[in-house]
Amino acid sequence: MSQTIVNNHHTEEHITSTGLSNRKLLMWTFLGSDVMFFGAFIATYLVYRGKSLNGPYPNEILNIPITSISTFVLLMSSFAMVLALNYLNENRKGLTQFWIWSVVFLGIIFMGFQVVEFTEFAIHGLTPRTNLFGTTFFILTGLHGGHVTIGIIWLAIMGYAHKKGALRSDNSEDLELAGLYWHFVDIVWIVIFTVIYLVSASDGAPPGI
Amino acid sequence: MSNFWKDITSHKGNGWWNLPETTQSEINPKNEGPISIPWLKKIWNIISHGNVEHAGPGFYTIVAIFLAIVTLIELWIFTVETLGGWLNPLLFILSALKFIGVVAFFMHLRFDNKYFTIIFSSCMILGILVFISLLLLWSFAGLKP
Repeated sequence: MSQTIVNNHHTEEHITSTGLSNRKLLMWTFLGSDVMFFGAFIATYLVYRGKSLNGPYPNEILNIPITSISTFVLLMSSFAMVLALNYLNENRKGLTQFWIWSVVFLGIIFMGFQVVEFTEFAIHGLTPRTNLFGTTFFILTGLHGGHVTIGIIWLAIMGYAHKKGALRSDNSEDLELAGLYWHFVDIVWIVIFTVIYLVSASDGAPPGI
Repeated sequence: MSNFWKDITSHKGNGWWNLPETTQSEINPKNEGPISIPWLKKIWNIISHGNVEHAGPGFYTIVAIFLAIVTLIELWIFTVETLGGWLNPLLFILSALKFIGVVAFFMHLRFDNKYFTIIFSSCMILGILVFISLLLLWSFAGLKP
């Protein structure tokens, strides 16, 4: 139930029964479903919090200062993302390129931090098979890392498309959708950082162990 | 009180935030400033986007600084040992502030069509219900190490 009209900027707009862009509606619905997805995993982490029978425990292994830096990097990538969209809408090519690739760069830095963290944990004997903390921690942060990786690839494609002239201000919704996904990845990390790193940082062995 | 709440949450703007209603095709709408007092409005416009009155880089920079400051506060209160039982609630409140900051401004929900807010909020409520249900389920099951 949609028809296509051509506006005075020679771009196509779809008139939909809701009056909203179908693609944007789909993206918001997807993000809503992803909220429930991550909600289930965060709840699982909390259910098993403090119930590991053997170490390493969170208080022995979590590195809050380092994770704070990676959290800051991801927050700033969201800022870069919103600037990229802003400049794309203003038709400022150089700045759009700079900020899109900044997001990609910051995303890679964040993933670098995660790789270093996972490696450190493995060296200290914490793997997904070690204990309940390891299993729930790696699944949750690993799934988030997977989302970040998909976002990096998506935005790198956007950066390339913009360089080649396929992404312009008249089809900026393409970048907006990628941006929504990226910001979502950021808000999930905001929750993970609080729940896993700050709240659980002092968790040790359960009583009686 | 109800007017204050309406000003903060209303998509029509013209309230405390003074952000105007926009269509989904105009994702970076005109921003007449967060405060209606003329001289503050003028200063805001200079800071936010060089007087052209858009929710532009300046506005987003202010949001980013806010997010960075909240993160620093989180880290600071994390190191304060005297907070005791207040630590976790405070951390969750600060986390919620950052969450709202990103969703409302970076994801443009504050400027965008209200149906997107309804969709996302509904899923958030469902997600929180799933979250609470799981915690309660295991709490009643008496899971022990």
